[in-house]
Amino acid sequence: MAFLDLDRLSLAFKKEQVLKEASLQVERGETVVVFGPSGGGKTVLLRLVSGVMQPDSGDVRLNGRSILDQGPEERGVGMAFQNFALYPHMPAFENIASPLRARRLADSEIERRVHETARLLKIDHVLKHFPKELSNGQKQRTALGRALIAGPEVLLLDDPLRNVDAKLRYEMRIELPRLLKSFGGSVLYVTQDYKEAMALGDRVAVLLDGRFLQIDRPAEIYKNPADVRIARLFGDPTINLYPVQPRPAGNGIEIELFGSKVTLPGSHGHLQGRECLMGLRPEHIHVHTEPVEGGLPMELDAVTPLNVRTVLFLRTQDNRELLATCSEHEQGNFGRGHRAVHARIDFERALFFEPASGTRLPAAA
Amino acid sequence: MDRSNPVTKILRGLALLAIGLFFLFPLFWVALMSFQTNEQILRIPPSIVFEPTLSNYWALISGRLVSTAGVLEIKFMGNLWNSVFLSTTSVALALILGVPAAYAFARFRFRLSEDIAFTLLSFRFAPPLLVLLPLSLYFQDIGLTDTYVGLIWVYQLIALPLILWIVRGYFEDISPDIEHAYRIDGHSWWKTFTKIALPLARPGIAAAALLSFIFCWNNFIFALILASAGKQPVTVGALAFVTASGIQYGQIAAAVILSILPTLLLALYAQRYLVEGLSLGAVKG
Amino acid sequence: MAATTATQPTASPRKSRLGPALLPYLLSLPALLVCIGIIIPFFTAVWYSLQRYNLNLPYLRGFVWFQQYIDLFSDPSFWHTVQVSLLYTALTVILELLLGLGIALLLRRPSTLHNIMSIALLLPLMVAPAIASLMWKLMTHPDFGILSWLIQQVGITNFRWAAAPSSALFTVLLVDIWVYTPFMMILLLAGLRGLPKQPFEAAELDGVPASFVFFRITLPMLTPYIITAALFRMLDSIQQFDIIYAMTQGGPGDTLMVFQVMAYLDFFQNFNVGRSAAVLMVLWAIAYLLSNVFIKHWLRLRERARGAA
Repeated sequence: MAFLDLDRLSLAFKKEQVLKEASLQVERGETVVVFGPSGGGKTVLLRLVSGVMQPDSGDVRLNGRSILDQGPEERGVGMAFQNFALYPHMPAFENIASPLRARRLADSEIERRVHETARLLKIDHVLKHFPKELSNGQKQRTALGRALIAGPEVLLLDDPLRNVDAKLRYEMRIELPRLLKSFGGSVLYVTQDYKEAMALGDRVAVLLDGRFLQIDRPAEIYKNPADVRIARLFGDPTINLYPVQPRPAGNGIEIELFGSKVTLPGSHGHLQGRECLMGLRPEHIHVHTEPVEGGLPMELDAVTPLNVRTVLFLRTQDNRELLATCSEHEQGNFGRGHRAVHARIDFERALFFEPASGTRLPAAA
Repeated sequence: MDRSNPVTKILRGLALLAIGLFFLFPLFWVALMSFQTNEQILRIPPSIVFEPTLSNYWALISGRLVSTAGVLEIKFMGNLWNSVFLSTTSVALALILGVPAAYAFARFRFRLSEDIAFTLLSFRFAPPLLVLLPLSLYFQDIGLTDTYVGLIWVYQLIALPLILWIVRGYFEDISPDIEHAYRIDGHSWWKTFTKIALPLARPGIAAAALLSFIFCWNNFIFALILASAGKQPVTVGALAFVTASGIQYGQIAAAVILSILPTLLLALYAQRYLVEGLSLGAVKG
Repeated sequence: MAATTATQPTASPRKSRLGPALLPYLLSLPALLVCIGIIIPFFTAVWYSLQRYNLNLPYLRGFVWFQQYIDLFSDPSFWHTVQVSLLYTALTVILELLLGLGIALLLRRPSTLHNIMSIALLLPLMVAPAIASLMWKLMTHPDFGILSWLIQQVGITNFRWAAAPSSALFTVLLVDIWVYTPFMMILLLAGLRGLPKQPFEAAELDGVPASFVFFRITLPMLTPYIITAALFRMLDSIQQFDIIYAMTQGGPGDTLMVFQVMAYLDFFQNFNVGRSAAVLMVLWAIAYLLSNVFIKHWLRLRERARGAA
């Protein structure tokens, strides 16, 4: 039995179904990232767990007991809001101390724990400041401190890095996992940034159109997305997608791709005769300046460095765009683009989806 | 516009002077009168050079008006006290009743909420006599005529809609997440209301309270119909006093000054809230 | 159960337990009760207006359907009241609007002098209209009134202010303007100072003439505030009682017999409850129509303000 159990939660606003029987189980001490595009119902999910909203149907269980009939103040969860939701008329100290005040701890104990938490979050020098005197980063840490301080069994973080600048977001992405592990409770973390999801989640739950389409370890979701939309959302640069129709040819199957006929490896034999959407991750396309065995000729339009990988913008012979990546040291080979190249595609790792529904077509057994 | 030519500058100056004169001179002149004896007032031509006297105020405060015709008992200080008491308690009651309701209207989309809000708003625009005349007959039946309770109840007609509409706007401006966060911290609904919603809406509550105090103080028609001399506020009392005192013009002027002084001082002291309340009450709601 | 009430994304705690679902009703109940106490007399008034009901002649009391209204509409003195009330409303609203707009434009730029002026102009608004009338009665007193004296100095000897039918309306208008122009001024000044700066800066750079700026930029942008302020004053003015009652009690004769003064005198002097109620119902209908226009306009403004924020 899961520690936190969201059981078939449904909720509609003005006829629009925001959650459709969404189910998710979180183990004790586990960090689950709820990932999805904005407006997908992620925030609503956290509100249902925190108790500030009620579902139309479904149940929220903690330790096997339903907590739906408990008010937000009785559930013992901590939550950090995307817009911080700090109390503007209280200094940072009182903002952080608020959950302890609710638990009627002694002043000296409150003093000690607020300072301890503030030191951990590196905001002990601004405890006397009011929210309007804090930087966005400090506000975010104050909100985090307030959510953490009482040691809740469940911590809800609603896109806490959304409203802070890029540099700070990068730092926090590294710092947060350590913090969350030291905290020890279960964490539901909402984000629409797939890198945050990959970096922070023990597991990632992808919420799309009010349903969890896939719940798995981050690497697994990247490698084996259950749906073309997940494949698109996970990955930067985005996955390349082309409609193909595998046909039997000789002892294998072949497709027409980029103006050439390509024979697919035997493992894709079961797709024969089906129309499907083929997804090619940019890192599975190897670009060479000289012709190579199985390489397709194409034009290199532009070269753009991105973090450790470099993005190559390719143009195929049938005038389609194709994104590929290469490592930094390979980048030198390509100059600034505008030249003919040869791309060898690793078809073993191609992903195939049903064109209409977007569902992943299973790999051969 | 500041670089405009001297002629327009002079014209602007003259216009401002005329405006200032028209709106402030009556207050100034009546204030002067209140420090004059009847002989000084009746002197022609009028002069602003005179020996000021406090006798008019003393007569009002002592409640005894000594003249050649004899001694007249006046209850003007009683009227002043009635105004203070009626306005203060009416606003206090309207706050107790209105602030929670304003919160409910702002936070909960419950059935009827818009209907209730509109009904309340439409009171602001209904002819007061329409309610007052039948009420005067009812009050006779249930013994509320000429009681403070009856008056304070009817004064809610002035104070309650104002407080509801101004304060509701302020509550709506507070992010619900701030209140949610406080609940999740472990505080009860009531604690959240008193420690988060009320303090954050305080400027609005202050503006609404100030404005409704002034409107209650300045009200005339309610007390004219529902109260007799003993319970009347200054607005009605001053008019009755004119009839009673006849030609004691200095005292009339002093009575006028005493009855407008509280609202004038309040307005000067809290003019920021007042302007905000007036313009928000009208435009924002 | 929880699912019965409508929900908003921002709605506050709503729980399946009974208490919290009732909370909003509980919170607004006291205010509601007070209001019901006020709605009842309103319906009583409707009921009275359909009766022959004179406190002096209680034995004649009876239900007469719309006879009161029919009598009223065939009574010339009622039409006189309609005329006077509408004239009074039109004059006060137009004059106060023009004057208030003029002052607001003069005080538009924040400066120490302008701020002091705008605070000083609040003062007349703080004076009870009934008391303000008293002040102007003192100022226009034939024996010592400063205005009477001034007007004599310019050679007008027989000006009797509120005491003469020819000048009573003028005198009462003066008081109304003195009390309520500041209200217009405050609303319009808040509107003017809240207007976006860019159109004006652009116009200044382009050297657009001031009259063009006023009629093509300032006035259209200020229109919502002007409508709000004018409707507010219209609703107050059509129901004016305090100033007219305190100045002349509707007189001299019936010169200033506006709706509420007429209803008041019908009730307290003639004890004719039925007719008094009918007069008020007519006034209420007019005010209701105006206030509906007003509330619609107001809600639109609010929506727009929300949208912009």
